[in-house]
Amino acid sequence: MEQSPSLAIPPRDPATVMRLARMGSFHQSRLSFMRVLLRRLASEHWQFEQRSFEIDSRGVGHAVYTAHGPERSYSLIAFANDLPPEKRSDRVIATEWDATFALFDGLPDAADIERLRQHVPKQEAGRISARELSLSRANRSVRLWDHVIEALSAGRQPDAAKVGEVGYLMRTTAVYGSGKFGAADREMIAERPEFRAPFQVEMLAVYLIRSFVMDLVEHMARMRAPETAVPLDPALRRSFGIGNSTGLGMAPFLITHPVLINNWIAAREWALARVRSLPMASEEDARIFRKFAARAHLHAERWTSEHPLQITRLKALRTDMARLEAHLGDADLTSDMPWNRLWRWGGNTLSLEGQEQLASLLLEPYGSIVDGLSECMYADEQDAWRIDGAMSCAEMRAILESVYAWALAIDWSARTAQARVWYTSEAKLEPRVGERFDEPIEPYEQPLCPGRDAARLHADLRGLDGPLAAFLLRYPQHRHIARRAQIAARHPYAEIRDNTIDAEMLPIDLLRAKLSFFGACQFDPRSDRWLRINMYQNAPFPAELASLGPEDWSYPDLAQAAE
Amino acid sequence: MSWSLGEIESLSRKATRGAGYLWGHAEEAGKAVRWLCAAGLPGETALAGLLQHNDGQPYEQIRPVDTSAMPWQARGGALCPLASGAALCDLAEPGFDAALARVGFPLLLLPYVVIAADMTKAPLRVVWQGVTITRNAQGTYMQAAPDALNPIEAQMLRVSPAPDHAGTRLRRSYRAEIDAPSAEILAKFAHRTYAPETEESRLSGAGAGLTDND
Repeated sequence: MEQSPSLAIPPRDPATVMRLARMGSFHQSRLSFMRVLLRRLASEHWQFEQRSFEIDSRGVGHAVYTAHGPERSYSLIAFANDLPPEKRSDRVIATEWDATFALFDGLPDAADIERLRQHVPKQEAGRISARELSLSRANRSVRLWDHVIEALSAGRQPDAAKVGEVGYLMRTTAVYGSGKFGAADREMIAERPEFRAPFQVEMLAVYLIRSFVMDLVEHMARMRAPETAVPLDPALRRSFGIGNSTGLGMAPFLITHPVLINNWIAAREWALARVRSLPMASEEDARIFRKFAARAHLHAERWTSEHPLQITRLKALRTDMARLEAHLGDADLTSDMPWNRLWRWGGNTLSLEGQEQLASLLLEPYGSIVDGLSECMYADEQDAWRIDGAMSCAEMRAILESVYAWALAIDWSARTAQARVWYTSEAKLEPRVGERFDEPIEPYEQPLCPGRDAARLHADLRGLDGPLAAFLLRYPQHRHIARRAQIAARHPYAEIRDNTIDAEMLPIDLLRAKLSFFGACQFDPRSDRWLRINMYQNAPFPAELASLGPEDWSYPDLAQAAE
Repeated sequence: MSWSLGEIESLSRKATRGAGYLWGHAEEAGKAVRWLCAAGLPGETALAGLLQHNDGQPYEQIRPVDTSAMPWQARGGALCPLASGAALCDLAEPGFDAALARVGFPLLLLPYVVIAADMTKAPLRVVWQGVTITRNAQGTYMQAAPDALNPIEAQMLRVSPAPDHAGTRLRRSYRAEIDAPSAEILAKFAHRTYAPETEESRLSGAGAGLTDND
């Protein structure tokens, strides 16, 4: 991370930022990976084409969508399926889907497509190759799919309110990349500028999936009634995102990639610190901010969830956004470090949801000092895992007492402090969370509880001196956490500063933190451990990127809302 | 069928843990086998052999007893290359020189020597019977009789500063062909890390809740 010693306001303290309740309140921002991708696609004038669309009236067949960048092309290969309703499930236990996808490195020939037709529809049970960069699947939203086809085939536009309730026609679940199921490893492509920022492969795949799904629904309507069918109105069409159902599978990622997570959070914190440090702001910047605040308010009003936890949080967020708008009515946003004053007002006034929304909003007017930080969000993790054995035991103790002070304050003998176990299930090889004292799962525990491990290491180091090398030779059980602690000492935001095995821990907080960096909106928890989101809602389609621009879509449009 | 390096690392990490090693060693074993396979060396075969050989062995029996006394030795039989490699990396400094008596599956020690050389920016050489491998700033150079590369045990192994290098430079690859029987052995060990499914865990573990099909 680049240092900016001249900043008047330093980045926030990791002890404040890296708490689960706050991370579970993060919102998308200019640094989110979807927005990073669309900025690049627009600035480099990527060209898009539908190279193939061979899908019959039952909705079975395949299609190829290619994105041409300055140096390379990438193709989404989509396989569409006529799935009986009883087989439709987003859960990882499913074996068939409405549509399955691979992102191909280059232009696939007929043999590639035939090879992938044998494997991609099987997902985890299939096998892909180094030519493929991602593997994913999606199911229809039955609620909306039938309604849209019915309306379009009858020559009408679908009901905008119904569209708004769901927000997407298909919902993806896992989007696998980085070497999974035989795909290319990230390091094969990490040097390509277009994939240097994190998750650009996956974000590109989902962006192309959205185009495919919209084309598919219009195609199905045409096949049903060629005489009367109409395409979607462009603005209504844009209001469809791609849904995503996400569960525990992605939760451990935030713990198992400490350097990467540090770089994501640090980029956002440095961006916030840069904006807060501005001595003054122009009238134009203030106007832009006010507009985004109003749009975020509208976003909060439209965001629905059936989960009691999120209903409470949304209520708080709506109150926060109303307070913010009221405050902005007569606040001075141009002089005397205006954004820092506003930030401090927010810290005293808003809930965690509102504070983190404000953090994202403050970045909106300042692309010139914010967007470049996306270049710092990747990590070369292969180098980070080496232990410095020459470090003294006393030095390690000092790190633990600083980075893990919160963990040393916990009474780990209390059952509630160790109530949970992260493990991998035999059935689907997926991460799960269980109850340590009720289920026979402790022998299978994954190392996803740094706080407890740090406390154990601290206890065993008591009174010892000399180099860590000698200590670890005798206490190999501490190698894992010693490595983490050394990483956390170098990377302030590497470690979540909360108990990840506490009885009250909410896995959805981990999911939301990660998904906010993807750029997802409308988090809708369906339990404490899986949720739904919407991706790319209101984003321009590939053909519209040049005319509409890559930036102005993440919050609802005020003019449209007024209509 | 080629494997991605991520798949190899993940399988090796889980298998090592499944064989009873602690997580820290298992993580490093995953990286080590990934490195070997990327270099075109039979890391997966060496690990499969080691885990079968050391299955259930207490760490105290297979670790170096005293790293300040040469040669390093284990209490009960051969030194484990994972435990020895970890110790070697932790101790590495320019001029590092150590002899190890009786090392099981010495090929697995190579990635640790590479890391030690890179960390200290001081070239290192590892030698056992029939094999000399040097790591310096230019890369990794190997001289080896084919049947000497992956023995069950090396009677004496030496890691020492390398003023020069000889042999063929290893090329780095992004994919690897994996020996199927070895992969099966590793998969069996990895399977031990998975909790058996119960109906209760299936429903609660992944988070039952509202319907997902609407």
